[in-house]
Amino acid sequence: MIVPSIFRERWPVLLLGLAAYVSTFLFLHLEQEWEIALLLGIVPLVLYIAKKSGMSAKCRQAVGVAPVFTKVVFLLSALALIVTLRHEHFALLLLATVLLYATISLGLTIQFGYAGLVNFAAIAFFGIGAYTMAVLNQSQNGLPDLMIIVIGGVVAALIGSLLILPVLRTKGHYAALITIAFGLLFRSFLEVNDILGGPQGLKVSGLNILGWDFAQSFPAILGGGSFYVSYTLLALVLLIGVFSMTRLIESSWLGLNMDSVRLDETASASFGINVARWKIMAFTVGNFFAGMSGALYASMSGFVAPASFNLSDSLLLVSIVLLGGMGNAVSVIPAAFLVVVLPEKFQVIQEYRLLLFAVIVILILRFKPSGLMPRPLRRLINTSSK
Amino acid sequence: MDIGFLGQYLINGLVQGVTYSLVAVGFTLFFGVLDVIKFSHGDVLMLGAFTGLTIYLGLDPLSLPPSITLCIILIASILSMGFVGALLCKFLVLPLKSAPPLNTLLITLMFGTVIRESVRLFFPNGSNPKPFPELLPTNAINLGNLNLRVDSVLIILFAVVAIVLTHFIINKTRTGLAIRAVAQDEETARLMGIDFKKTVLITFALGSGLAALSGVSTGLYYQEINFGMGLMLGVIGFSAAVLGGLGSVYGAIVGGLIFAALQTIGAIWFSVPAYKDVFAFAVVIMLMAWRPTGLLADRTSERV
Amino acid sequence: MTTNALTAKNLTVSFGGLKALDGLNLNVELGQFLGLIGPNGSGKTTFFNVLTGIYKPTNGTVLLGETDITGATPNQIYEFGITRTFQRLRLAPTLSVLDNLILGNQRNLHLGFIGNIFNRKRLRREIASQTEQSRELLGRFSSGLVSKLYEPITALSMIDRRRVEVCRALISDPKILLLDEPSAGMTHDETSALMNELLAWRDQHKELSIILIEHEMDLIDRICDRCVVLNYGQKIAEGTYQEVANDRMVREAYLGED
Repeated sequence: MIVPSIFRERWPVLLLGLAAYVSTFLFLHLEQEWEIALLLGIVPLVLYIAKKSGMSAKCRQAVGVAPVFTKVVFLLSALALIVTLRHEHFALLLLATVLLYATISLGLTIQFGYAGLVNFAAIAFFGIGAYTMAVLNQSQNGLPDLMIIVIGGVVAALIGSLLILPVLRTKGHYAALITIAFGLLFRSFLEVNDILGGPQGLKVSGLNILGWDFAQSFPAILGGGSFYVSYTLLALVLLIGVFSMTRLIESSWLGLNMDSVRLDETASASFGINVARWKIMAFTVGNFFAGMSGALYASMSGFVAPASFNLSDSLLLVSIVLLGGMGNAVSVIPAAFLVVVLPEKFQVIQEYRLLLFAVIVILILRFKPSGLMPRPLRRLINTSSK
Repeated sequence: MDIGFLGQYLINGLVQGVTYSLVAVGFTLFFGVLDVIKFSHGDVLMLGAFTGLTIYLGLDPLSLPPSITLCIILIASILSMGFVGALLCKFLVLPLKSAPPLNTLLITLMFGTVIRESVRLFFPNGSNPKPFPELLPTNAINLGNLNLRVDSVLIILFAVVAIVLTHFIINKTRTGLAIRAVAQDEETARLMGIDFKKTVLITFALGSGLAALSGVSTGLYYQEINFGMGLMLGVIGFSAAVLGGLGSVYGAIVGGLIFAALQTIGAIWFSVPAYKDVFAFAVVIMLMAWRPTGLLADRTSERV
Repeated sequence: MTTNALTAKNLTVSFGGLKALDGLNLNVELGQFLGLIGPNGSGKTTFFNVLTGIYKPTNGTVLLGETDITGATPNQIYEFGITRTFQRLRLAPTLSVLDNLILGNQRNLHLGFIGNIFNRKRLRREIASQTEQSRELLGRFSSGLVSKLYEPITALSMIDRRRVEVCRALISDPKILLLDEPSAGMTHDETSALMNELLAWRDQHKELSIILIEHEMDLIDRICDRCVVLNYGQKIAEGTYQEVANDRMVREAYLGED
């Protein structure tokens, strides 16, 4: 029988998908702080047991053997999650925010984790995408909303290219300064000028894709639900697209050369790598992702204002990448989840959010610089031999 | 243009400029010694100012003459920030010496964030600006159209004295010699018997002390401090240090003055003075594209 | 007269007031194994750095065959067919052996963005052929290394790392190979082994010219066709090892005046 043999080696993946579904559902659904705290205690315990019993090794092996199956299982888990939560406005909003932040973080992973470019202005590029949506969505142009999302990404990438020359010509910490300066510049600019709404910001109309108005509740035929379902689904689609592209970059000559640039620019040049080209590519692609994410976010939240795009948000994003393990595109997603969801659930720590994550990052950098889940060694798949 | 008007801008710019220069010198010292960008510098500055305020509030019941209070505040905040700087160095920076420099940048950035958020959260009513005591004479000398505030002159004097003192320490004392030796070549300095760790700790303490001085003088000048002042000042100070060429103390001084000049030009030129920061930052970004290693020399740190 | 593979004419490099290279004239013939020796600070690594475009010469020219390559960037130098190893071993430590080798083969890879993302079939073919090529090259040096193709560099011994770095420089089939003190960090026997493997490889690539910076003199004696001795950025002697070893100026440079 074919069916049982497939599952014999793949059942750990199903288990993983189920675990992911259950844990994310609980984190998003539960509201009492003690419940969340309990969950926070149980999760590491479960992970520890899994490691000791050899379960995690089995899972890792199963995932390695069946990558496509794994992706399908996780996609189904995500969909099941959305379906289960379809009537809970706040949980969906939270989930959508996680997905969008994860998208930006993937962009940062390419810039920082692969090419070694520090970008402390990630939220600014996110903001550029958001404002692009705000501006283009209002006027009566015939642009379809999906295209505006892409345009948001493009505009972010284009403005990013203005920074490229100084970023390229300077080394590490100088480049960091440029992005910080740009982030501050962007925020000041937004507050000071009037065209873009000044400190009050702009209102953004919701999305309308192929006739489907995102502001209305999810159709009863498909189970009904909050209007956030549509946005969350779209954010999921965006994340999947961005994630796939990130992995494709990593497992190709693009990722290899970016790694080389990050690790040793001089040596890279000595065997023909055009360092500038790879930095430009990483920076542009990363900002493109951030811009698209921002455009979607703007239409979901209904307004954009300068106060949403602070340096502290950029720092939070950087801490997501560090927490997840620099360069690990997979663990960046749970990291984003933790950083976005936990402060929301523990209202008590909302205020302390940035302080808390700054301390965590300090501890990580001091004691476990590779992050919670270090980046696995690249293994270029060779189909011809073993 | 009204001379008085211009003069006012000039004096303001000068005060700003020397403040930036002090911060910039701090950055340059750290970078010179350890190739480290201490992004928490601005926040240490802010902490120094808040420390000064706290000490003032503590001394208030004693009703000491202002000049004495000022001295105590200055000494206390300089010493305590020096201590903080040394702690940072010992526990967060030195252990990361062999890690990629990016990690040090990040850890100091996060440390600065911790300081900033801590003040915001734990200082009573921390998120709002706090009045800083008036410990300098508030009178102004009237020179025709120009109202020259005495405290401006005093602050500029403070800063100049501090810079000269730093210059003296760096260039004329044995400690300064050790600092310069370590900045040039760590290995050789060690071989010469210089205590690397101690020298680095001293450098950090020195730089942080300078930051405290900047913080207190900023507070005295604007008579107000807030938890976020360090961030902007830190970025500006860093820009100034970079403009002048990281590693060069003279460059840092020049850079600080140039940045203040840019802001002043921006404020005069644009009808909306709020654009001055946008303008100044934009110019810095462009200048760095043109001269990535700064206007004066930078040390090349790579050995092939 | 046959053109030399590489010619440096009147090459000068100044750093501030210091002349690291001072009117250096040097040439390497096709297929020659040239030893470059001299006391510390005589300009040997600086010469390599100028050749590979890391430093720009203040004066003078460098010719590859008949082509003027003076002032070319490191990328261009690679395209011209000059590769190198580094004194302090510059491999990517967290990447695998295979990754490091393929990195050296830039000119044989398709590097377009669209192509890498969407033409995965071609990418897979390239991965397969690069893996094969790397295997084969590594195998000529050490069959044991081939089994470590997917290990990170950090898992390798010093001599294996040196082998990888040399292979990285050879994989693109260069015209000129610059070796900067490959013996650093290795025992005498290990260095010998590596050099023998290199010589064996070169037997099948007779047009490769190699310049070797070394301090181990018996190595130079054994394997170099010719030697050039530098001091204070200038050439003070050239010839076979035996000839230069007995040269009075050379002895003075190393040992000081009698």
